[in-house]
Amino acid sequence: MTDLAIAAAAQPSAPEAGGWARGRPYLVYAAQRLAQAVVVILLAYVLSFVLITILPGNAIATTLASPQSGLSPAQIKNVENYYGVTKPIAVQLGLALSRFVRGQLGVSLVTRQTVTSLIGGALPYTLKLAGAALAIALVLAAVIAYGSQYLPGRWARSVLRSVPSLFLSVPNFIIGLLLIHYFSFQLHTFDVLNPDSPVGTFFAGLALGIPICAPLAEVLISNLDRESSQEYVLVARSRGLTQARLFARHLVKPSMLPAVTMAALIAGELMGGAIITEEVFGRNGIGSVMYQAVSDQDTPVLQGVVALAAVVFVVVNLIADLAAPLLDPRVRLGRGRRERAGGAS
Amino acid sequence: MSIALAPEPTQSPPRRLTAAARAASAAVSLSVLVSFIVVVIVILWSLFPSLFTSYSAVAANPAEKFLGPGAQHWFGTDDLGRDEFARVVYGARSSVGTALVAVGIGLFAGGLIGLLAGFAGGWADAVLGRLVDTLLAIPGFLLAVVVVTGLGFTTLNAAIATGIASVAIFARLMRAETIKVRHSVFIESSYLQGGSAGYVLFRHVLPNAYRSVLALAVLQLGNAIIVIAALAFLGYGSPPPASDWGLLVAAGSTDATAPWLVYGPAIVIVVTVLSINRISRWLRKTS
Repeated sequence: MTDLAIAAAAQPSAPEAGGWARGRPYLVYAAQRLAQAVVVILLAYVLSFVLITILPGNAIATTLASPQSGLSPAQIKNVENYYGVTKPIAVQLGLALSRFVRGQLGVSLVTRQTVTSLIGGALPYTLKLAGAALAIALVLAAVIAYGSQYLPGRWARSVLRSVPSLFLSVPNFIIGLLLIHYFSFQLHTFDVLNPDSPVGTFFAGLALGIPICAPLAEVLISNLDRESSQEYVLVARSRGLTQARLFARHLVKPSMLPAVTMAALIAGELMGGAIITEEVFGRNGIGSVMYQAVSDQDTPVLQGVVALAAVVFVVVNLIADLAAPLLDPRVRLGRGRRERAGGAS
Repeated sequence: MSIALAPEPTQSPPRRLTAAARAASAAVSLSVLVSFIVVVIVILWSLFPSLFTSYSAVAANPAEKFLGPGAQHWFGTDDLGRDEFARVVYGARSSVGTALVAVGIGLFAGGLIGLLAGFAGGWADAVLGRLVDTLLAIPGFLLAVVVVTGLGFTTLNAAIATGIASVAIFARLMRAETIKVRHSVFIESSYLQGGSAGYVLFRHVLPNAYRSVLALAVLQLGNAIIVIAALAFLGYGSPPPASDWGLLVAAGSTDATAPWLVYGPAIVIVVTVLSINRISRWLRKTS
């Protein structure tokens, strides 16, 4: 929930952009980041395997052996061979990793579909929800940040500034329940619980987006505070720029840089939050696949979802890191932000 | 610089010491004070629940089911006639106490990893750095769900899972703080005066790093309450009749006719987390 805020609060200031600015050629930097990303994805898969396999209380064998699995002894044998259940853990890990590298995530122990098709089938629903949540979060964050700078009245501005910390303190399942209760039961907007209607997607997106908008708004506000005291802002104002144009053209763009480095965290937050949001709003998607896999102890599916999340996180992070040097002209010119910020304070 | 800033209407440093500004700073400390009071009350709930309510959290009373909030029952009663406020108070121990366990795990394991990586540097830093990157790559809540699935569904296991999911963030901050201190001149001079690595670590590095790590730990406490409540909400905590706050919200949400069963625990969660976050913000500002 507020993982994102915590990660943002504990983030050492823009290490990636600074790392590149030390004068290495951009392509070398990009290649190094790419190699790092591949290593982290593989390690994340190994970690999820180790966590699921070594932790007590569950194993593929116990799930298969339970009478509810509905498998014949021959089928059980087949699945056991596929996962190498009887072999040592290191061999099982080797098998799993070699499948993973070839893009196979295994077969569900319950539905007997491949994990790839299970996830592939659920992905569009979650993408729709996550897209709505992201759009809502960005718009809300921009509105809050703009208001915190330009709203008339000191009191109104400071109230708006405390909105992000309120949003951070409300778990998204509570937001979801309150939205459902108010709009569905009180106002009888029954589409709230209809996953196929745009209204349903909007409200689910709101529940998922509000906790995400809070840290975004905080970062935007603190950056706007800093950037608006920079001299280039004064120059731009003296040349007759209106407030709105100044905000849009000269303030938002440099403030985007820290927001972009948060992109991967946002993606992770969207996936984690999807479990709860989809459960609360009764929607299909990756979250409900995960929820089902947990109650069935369907470890291959669980591991597949974790692998997907890690891939999404790492890829978004990679794109953000590669894009960061291109967003701020001062970083592009090879002068670190930290050095500049130190000089200004 | 202040002359350059003068045309900016939103910032007026010369007026910093006026009465209005002094009132504003007093208001800030008031909100911190209220936050501390809230946290103390919640801690007392978890230690001595029977002092705060005369009702039982588990005994059913069919004559009084689905009563709305009132003077007798502050948060109303549930489908078995149990006092919802009593259930919230008795649930504080497993909702907030376990959050402390979660933060303890993250603080200890993450702090150790970060300290080792930052202090030893080189090879150890590279290996631990990849481990932290890997932990960070799995979204915290997903990681917590996977771990609690492996360990089994109890609230304590949910807390352990939440703690494991926060290790990476503590490790990263601790490493950054350690490196910042390690390259200071006074560390160098301490070595030159014959200080051992252990002496430098405990005398200089830890005392300098602890303040920002403490602020993170407090912030993480609020987060842990939310994550544990979310896990309990999904049914990954201890089963009823336990009364974890997340579980109370989940149970209350099944009855659309009794919305107070959601409002009570929800308000308690939000106010508690808001207070803890306020304290963390105050710690960060004063550090």
